[in-house]
Amino acid sequence: MNPEDLKYHKEHAWVRVSGKKATMGITDYAQEALGDIVYIDLPESDIHVEAGTEMSEIESTKTSSPVIAPVSGTIVSVNEKLADNPEIINDDPYGKGWIAVIEIDDPAELDELMDASDYEQHIEENK
Amino acid sequence: MNLVVIGSGPGGYVAALKAAQLGAAVTVVEREEVGGTCLNWGCIPTKALIASAEALAQARRLADFGINVNGSLAADLPAIMERKNKIVATQIKGIRALFKSWNISLLSGHASLLDSKTVEVSRSEGTQELLRADRVIIATGSRPAELPMFPFDGAKILSSNDAVNLSELPASFIIIGAGVIGCEFAFILRELGADVTIVEAMPRAVLSEDAEIAEILEKELKKRKIKLITSAKVTGVATTESSVEVVLDGDRKLAAEKVLVSVGRSYNTEHLGLESLGIARGPRGEILVNEKMETSVSGIYAVGDVIGGMLLAHVASKEGIVAAKNACGISAAIDYRVVPAGIFTAPEIGSVGLREHQAQKQGIPYTVGRFPMRGLGKAHAMGEIAGLFKIIAHAETDHILGVHIIGPHASDLIHEGALALQAGITAQALAAMIHAHPTLSEGIMEAAEDIRGTAIHLPKKN
Repeated sequence: MNPEDLKYHKEHAWVRVSGKKATMGITDYAQEALGDIVYIDLPESDIHVEAGTEMSEIESTKTSSPVIAPVSGTIVSVNEKLADNPEIINDDPYGKGWIAVIEIDDPAELDELMDASDYEQHIEENK
Repeated sequence: MNLVVIGSGPGGYVAALKAAQLGAAVTVVEREEVGGTCLNWGCIPTKALIASAEALAQARRLADFGINVNGSLAADLPAIMERKNKIVATQIKGIRALFKSWNISLLSGHASLLDSKTVEVSRSEGTQELLRADRVIIATGSRPAELPMFPFDGAKILSSNDAVNLSELPASFIIIGAGVIGCEFAFILRELGADVTIVEAMPRAVLSEDAEIAEILEKELKKRKIKLITSAKVTGVATTESSVEVVLDGDRKLAAEKVLVSVGRSYNTEHLGLESLGIARGPRGEILVNEKMETSVSGIYAVGDVIGGMLLAHVASKEGIVAAKNACGISAAIDYRVVPAGIFTAPEIGSVGLREHQAQKQGIPYTVGRFPMRGLGKAHAMGEIAGLFKIIAHAETDHILGVHIIGPHASDLIHEGALALQAGITAQALAAMIHAHPTLSEGIMEAAEDIRGTAIHLPKKN
C-alpha cells in the first residue's frame, strides 16, 4: 500500500527524490487518521524548512494537525490545486495530493528516512 | 430637573431615556441623526452588510448541504445598501418613538456649553437657541481617526463611514489597520468579491483579543484569500486617477482601487465649550470622568466614546445609565469588571475577561481549558466547524477569569461566560451545569471541563 519507491519520515510524510529535488506529501496512514480534509495552510515558495519541524497545517473535519517537513531545504514549488480542493490529499495522497517540492540542502539527510517496510513497521509499533 | 443630553448615540439616547424614566425633563441635542455612530455608521449597518455577505457565502456552498441551484449568484450592492438603510431607518424610528413616549424633546443642531447651566444650540437654519440645564450629559462620541499623511477623500481613501455607503464594489481594497473595524470590513468586502489586503503595523490582527483566538482568525482570513501583512508601517499613500498606491516601510509598494483607513477613533470634543468651562481632558483629548461619570465641572457628566476607554456601544449605554441616575440624584457607579464584546468577522469572536497574555502579565496563576468547535455535532450539522472555545480559570481557586470564543454565534455564546464571571463561579460549577444537546453552548461546558483535562469529547492527554 505504501509505494516502494518513496522514503518516509516518522511523522507520516513521504518524499519522492529526483536529483536534488524531493516532492513530498502526507502518507495514506496520515490522511486516513485525519479523516476528511477541509483545508491546508499551504507553505509559500522560497521559504526554508527544517526536517522534523512544522511546514504546513492541515485541517480535517476531526482535527487540525501540523505537516512535518521530511527533509531540510527550500520550497521550490507548491501544489496550488490543494488550496481549493484539499480533499485531493484524501483521494490520492501519493499522487495528485503532493504538497510541495523541496530542494534538498543535504542529500545525506535522506539516509535518516525509512523505506516502505520500515515505515509500515513503525505504524504497527505505534498503533 | 432639566437635563440636556448632547449626542444621541447609544450613550446619549440611553441616558436620556433613563433620566426621563426617573422623572427628569430631558432635551436631547443631535447634529446628525439619532443613534450616533452605532446606528448610522457602525454596529447596525455593518451587521446588515455582514448578513448579506453571509447569505452569499451560504448560497455559494448550497451544494454542500445537498441543495442544487441552477443559475448564477450575484451580489447586488445597491440592493444590499438599500436593505441596510431600511434596517437603520427602522431603528432610528424606534429611538424617536421611545423619545416621544417619554416626552423627551429632540433638538437638531450643534450644542456648545456657554456655562455649566447654559447650552447654546446652533440650528441648521443658522439660528441659535439657548437651553437652561440643571445637569448636562456630554455624549458626543467619536469619529474615524484620520492620518495626516493621507486624509479621507471619500473617493479613494475611505473611512469606515464611507465604506458602509459604498455605491459600487471596487475590484481591490487595501485596508490599513487590522483591528475590529478593519477585519469586519475585510470579510464583507472579500465575500462580496473584492481582492482584499490588510496592512497592520502591529505583529498580529485584533491585538486586543487573546493571541490564540487572533491566530485562528488570521487563518480564517487566509482561507478566504484575504492577505494580511503584519508588522508593516504605511509610510506613504499616493492616489492616481484609477488607483491608490500604498508604500510600506519606505520600499514595498501595494496598489488597489481603494484604501480603507481603520486605524482608530478620534474623540468629538471640538466646539463644545469644554476649554472655556475648564473641563479636564486626558492625554488623547478624551474627557476625564470619575466612576459616577462626573467631569471636573459640577453638574456636567460625560459618557461613551468621548471619555475614551473601551469605545463599545454597550459600555456607552451603561455609562449613560450611571450618568442619568447620578444626574437625577440616585447614586450609581460604573463597573467595568465584566464587559463582553463581539467581533463580527467570519467566524465571529466573543470575549470577556482576561486574555491569557493579561493573566501572564499580571502574574496570576491560571489554567486553560480548550474545546475545538469541530468537536461539536451541532457545528458539523451547521457546516461551520472552524473555531475554538477557551476558558481561563484561576489555578488555585478555579474561578473563571476569562472566556474567549471564535466560531459561529460567538458574540451570543459569550454571554454565558460573562454571566459566569459576573456571578464569580468556578470552572467546575460551569462544567457541572447540564447543557442542552445539540447546541454550540456545549463547547463552553467541555472547555470548562477541559481545565481538569476531563472533557468528555477530547482524547486522553499524554
